[in-house]
Amino acid sequence: MIGQVLGHYRIVAKIGEGGMGVVYRAYDEVLHRDVAVKVVNKDVRFDSSASQRLLHEARASSSLAHPNICTIHEVGETDGELYIVMELVEGKSLRAMSADAGLPPESVLRYGVQIARALARAHDRGIVHRDLKTANIVVTSDGLVKVLDFGLAKQVGSGIFEGPTRSFATIQDASSVSGTLPYMAPEILRGDAADYRSDLWALGVVLYEAASGRLPFEGRTGFEISSAIMREIPNALGPPVPPGLWATIQRCLTKEPIQRYQRAGEVQAALEAVQSAGIVSTDPGPDRSGPRTTVLHSVRHAHVRKGDFLLLVGTTKGAFILRSNAQRSRWEVGGPYFHGHSVYAMAYDGRGGQRRIWASTASYWGTLLRSSDDFGKSWTNPQQAPIRFSSDTGVSLKNIWQIALGRPEEPNVLYCGVEPAALFETRDAGETWSLVRGLFDHPHRPRWMPGNGGLALHTILLDPADNQRMYVAISAGGVYRTSDGGRSWTAQNQGIRATFMPDKYPEFGQCVHKIAMHPGRPERLFLQNHWGLYRSDNYAENWTDIANGVPSDFGFAVLMHPRNPDCVYIVPVESDEFRCACEGRLRVYRTRNGGASWEPLMRGLPQKRAYETVLRDAISADSFDPLGIYFGTRSGQLFGSRDEGRTWQKILEGLPSVVCVRSAVVEDISGGLGPALPKAAPAPSHQAKSLSKSKTRRPKR
Amino acid sequence: MPVTFHIPGALRPFTNGHSRVEIEQSPATLGDALSALWTLYPGVRDRIATEQGEVREHINIFVGHENVRYTGGLASPVSAGSEISIVPAVSGG
Repeated sequence: MIGQVLGHYRIVAKIGEGGMGVVYRAYDEVLHRDVAVKVVNKDVRFDSSASQRLLHEARASSSLAHPNICTIHEVGETDGELYIVMELVEGKSLRAMSADAGLPPESVLRYGVQIARALARAHDRGIVHRDLKTANIVVTSDGLVKVLDFGLAKQVGSGIFEGPTRSFATIQDASSVSGTLPYMAPEILRGDAADYRSDLWALGVVLYEAASGRLPFEGRTGFEISSAIMREIPNALGPPVPPGLWATIQRCLTKEPIQRYQRAGEVQAALEAVQSAGIVSTDPGPDRSGPRTTVLHSVRHAHVRKGDFLLLVGTTKGAFILRSNAQRSRWEVGGPYFHGHSVYAMAYDGRGGQRRIWASTASYWGTLLRSSDDFGKSWTNPQQAPIRFSSDTGVSLKNIWQIALGRPEEPNVLYCGVEPAALFETRDAGETWSLVRGLFDHPHRPRWMPGNGGLALHTILLDPADNQRMYVAISAGGVYRTSDGGRSWTAQNQGIRATFMPDKYPEFGQCVHKIAMHPGRPERLFLQNHWGLYRSDNYAENWTDIANGVPSDFGFAVLMHPRNPDCVYIVPVESDEFRCACEGRLRVYRTRNGGASWEPLMRGLPQKRAYETVLRDAISADSFDPLGIYFGTRSGQLFGSRDEGRTWQKILEGLPSVVCVRSAVVEDISGGLGPALPKAAPAPSHQAKSLSKSKTRRPKR
Repeated sequence: MPVTFHIPGALRPFTNGHSRVEIEQSPATLGDALSALWTLYPGVRDRIATEQGEVREHINIFVGHENVRYTGGLASPVSAGSEISIVPAVSGG
């Protein structure tokens, strides 16, 4: 064969041989490049339809342009020789590299991620590999993985290991597939067709072999191997294999396809999570950051791209990430994340080019602030709770009610409002948090009283025009303001009624449910009280009752229109005792004149037996014009409006009780923007953030 | 003989996946045993105890079959061979 010309390929040297045929190095005389040519064995008999299928499959595979997939250039036939022309990949096979005792875990993870990426691309295009094994994975000298022979196995193996008539005996006898049997999924051995998940099984075998140098299912005969695949549990891989890698392999090697990972992207995410947890897995030590956990158990991830629109939904039993585009008509739902943990606060931080989702989780096991930089595929899971009270305070963290971004010129600054009522601050993007002592040591604090939800600091507002001014709202403590960056705080509750106190207008102690500030006119604030609806036009110096014509002035949520300082949305509930939509009709109320009058917005919202509650953070606005508004209810329904509240659509139902809704547009990560050059304008709260976004980028509808 | 902790699934990400952890250094009380446990696996501490060092409200710890809430809390005695279970309480909505 050496020296012969097949089509326009001159065969230069033999470089390998497999069950399918012999592989040669060849020179493409037309395009003047080196290629690999696989000449298919004649004893692999093809009828013409098999030939046609091979051609078809090869064409499909040739569309898989991906750095981790060996490109197929052409399938040709000359003088009865059927051959496949491929990218020439020079390197070592993963089989040879893993041969002795396996590779170090870091290498297994690095290669595994690339293999999973290759599979993800192929699966997205409807192509199943069907013969993934370490022998057809090549690692180049610079560490790049190339997966060979995509989509070819089915055709070549036709009649040998495909189809329902196959039996164990034929497998045992089929010497041409003996090297492949150890990678076959149980369902294939049972006679089912291979699908994506069979590739993920094979990926599990590949990872096992790469990590240990051994195959997970071994035997002296094909029958023994098949039997092991069908019935046995592979020997566990201990150190140095990190537990996360072993867990990932185990999930790939689950006998039932339905219990495996369902997508290659999930395996990729799991391996990446182990990569980032590497240090901790091998040495638990005093590391503060801790492992990142990849969320398992029937979690779906939203596949987020730049320009997408996100809704972050926190519930009493976990978090969800909803993805849509500027149309906001169809939604992909990611989650549930943090099974069974309540998620009272979420935030999206796009400052300084990052794309980070923050979430607070509370459960029996304590309260944590966590973040994800990959839209929920993995989350930090710190060893030590980053937000904690020191021993001298005598109190312990119960919940985190609010996550507020700092000012745009300080992209590493964030604030958290917590229960028991206190404010925490970070200046290093969440690595370390400190208690704002000026507020915690306030002489009023011992006299604050817990409301129904506990004694919580649930709202944080930063004045975008004055970097020393900031407000917090405490239930039940009232509104407090600082004008010196947090060192000292004053109660700002003049004019706000406290129905449950002997003095109806005390200096502090009001049960404030929510405050909102207009970012363009920061002297203007709106307030929903435990009974009472108020506005201030002088930085909360005093408050005016604006409950003019609302069915009830009890409620939780207040949403500021980001552009119109006279426009505010509320969702009243009937009373303190009956915290449900008035008359069982779910109505959002809007004022467009600063509270002089209110109008109900209910088109598309249930108006019969809708005993719903919209909690204080369960409403959010976006950055579009006209404004989009989204809210969730205690019964787990999620509604949205794309026309400033005129009409509503149900986005989702059946969620656990919704306690938090936030929205964000995923901006492009611009390489030139570092933390020193923040992209967004003032973003003290989600409302203000919306405005800042509308200034910098207003997505088209 | 060491004392043995039984680690619930929720905490195993912090014990390298181990469901049983043996403490060799013969602790005298539950508090000593827990200190030894979280020296070994620091991530476990904040899940079991508040920052003020109290066992979390909805977490129960049993030495043998005894809930330590009724046997002296962290001062509950443990002896060689004690089996200590960490269990989330049956409560909540």
